[in-house]
Amino acid sequence: MMSQTAAHALAETTVVDTDVHITVEEEMIAKYLEEPHRSSITDSPHPMFPSSSWDQRMGGKIDDYFSEFTGPEDIRQFQEDFQIDYPIINTFEPLGKFSQPDLAMSLMRAYNDLLLDKFLDDYDFLGLGAVATQRPEEAAAEIDRIGDNEQIVGLYLGTSGEYPPLGDPSNDPIYKAAEDHDLPIVFHGNGEEFMFDFPLHNKGFNNYFEVQSLGHPWQQMATMASVIGEGVPAKFPDLDFVFLEAGIGWVPYLMHRMNKIYRMRRSEVPLLDQSPEEYIRDRFYIGSQPLGEPNRSEDMKRMIETLGADMLMFATDYPHWDFDHLEELDKYLQHYFTEEERQKILYETPVEAFRLPFQQ
Amino acid sequence: MSEHTVATVSELEDGDRKLIEIEGREIALFRLDGEFRAYTNWCIHQGGPACEGSITGTSDAEFDRDELQTELQWSKEGEVLNCPWHGWEYDIPTGDCLSKEGAKLPSHPVRVEDGDVVVSL
Repeated sequence: MMSQTAAHALAETTVVDTDVHITVEEEMIAKYLEEPHRSSITDSPHPMFPSSSWDQRMGGKIDDYFSEFTGPEDIRQFQEDFQIDYPIINTFEPLGKFSQPDLAMSLMRAYNDLLLDKFLDDYDFLGLGAVATQRPEEAAAEIDRIGDNEQIVGLYLGTSGEYPPLGDPSNDPIYKAAEDHDLPIVFHGNGEEFMFDFPLHNKGFNNYFEVQSLGHPWQQMATMASVIGEGVPAKFPDLDFVFLEAGIGWVPYLMHRMNKIYRMRRSEVPLLDQSPEEYIRDRFYIGSQPLGEPNRSEDMKRMIETLGADMLMFATDYPHWDFDHLEELDKYLQHYFTEEERQKILYETPVEAFRLPFQQ
Repeated sequence: MSEHTVATVSELEDGDRKLIEIEGREIALFRLDGEFRAYTNWCIHQGGPACEGSITGTSDAEFDRDELQTELQWSKEGEVLNCPWHGWEYDIPTGDCLSKEGAKLPSHPVRVEDGDVVVSL
């Protein structure tokens, strides 16, 4: 899976992977649902998990790793193959896209029951609780239900199909419950669900290259702008935020842009008592995957420096087709950064962000 | 340091301002609550004519975490200077920039002497 040299270097480093998805088949989640939603998934011909029809793996040019990534033993094998000490696992499905609030609420509880039953109760894995925002008070009750489990280390929100945007005050019960349980909010962007947020572009683009280039960062930028613009970090001063699956380059861009707009329009966002950059540097964490690939490697050095080791964390996104191997980030860390900085990014910063229950 | 008589006290009512040029520099004299203040007409953002902008109040907000309600208040009416180029806000009584922590309008000592307003540069 990797070269001898790389394997040797990694063996001495404790690595937290902040984004590992388990694949949950429809029949599997159906077992954790009550009626009428169970039959709605197993016996009804309508597509419960609608597809945008894009061919993500290009007719099989890229292998399918996710279909079989369904159980604890698959995660163990992945840990061994990729030298990941602590995978933080999530149930992937972005629940914001579901139009039926009843179904979304049931799925949220079912995914959490499945996560606990299959992955956390009998293993020492760490996981993220699924949150659906269609009924924020019910979501808050769900956070209360699962939030004190020590293996639940954050709350997972897909940023596709979310309406209104996630900073909207209607979502405050979710943020309050997350803060009460000292759990960070983990925002995760998606490509397949591009059609829910940007239907005109989804229809207009002619290839998945275009969708994949913009889907995750557009969702994550919309979410970060909404969360900051609505003052969520000011309203909940002990709540932290994690952004996954849009890479890192969009963060300095949006952070600096929001600083500029904040200073021009401060009175429009009076809850903010700091610049957007201060909130982001103090309380926001960014997953590395998919790390951009500049033609000049020193450009990535500067990008990583701009974020800093207190903000950047490693993520694979395994088993999805656009995953990053640790080498993708570590080649820059080993070449340009100190061992202390590397340790922070691979271990200490996620330990802090997710309040992981072990020693630094 | 040079001293310059720039106005008479009776020339400005509360809330008034007067733009003057001293040694080639644009200075604005403000009168607020009977006190005079003088600032250089130069926004620290991009050098815009901050002291020529509108004088307004600004918004404050408080969040009630128990009720999950945000209450907006209009405050500092007549005390907030807005740079006309990009809207950066300054607090007229102190010269503090409200848009960027730690930033201020360049200020100059002002005193009243025999009914005249004297600015030191």
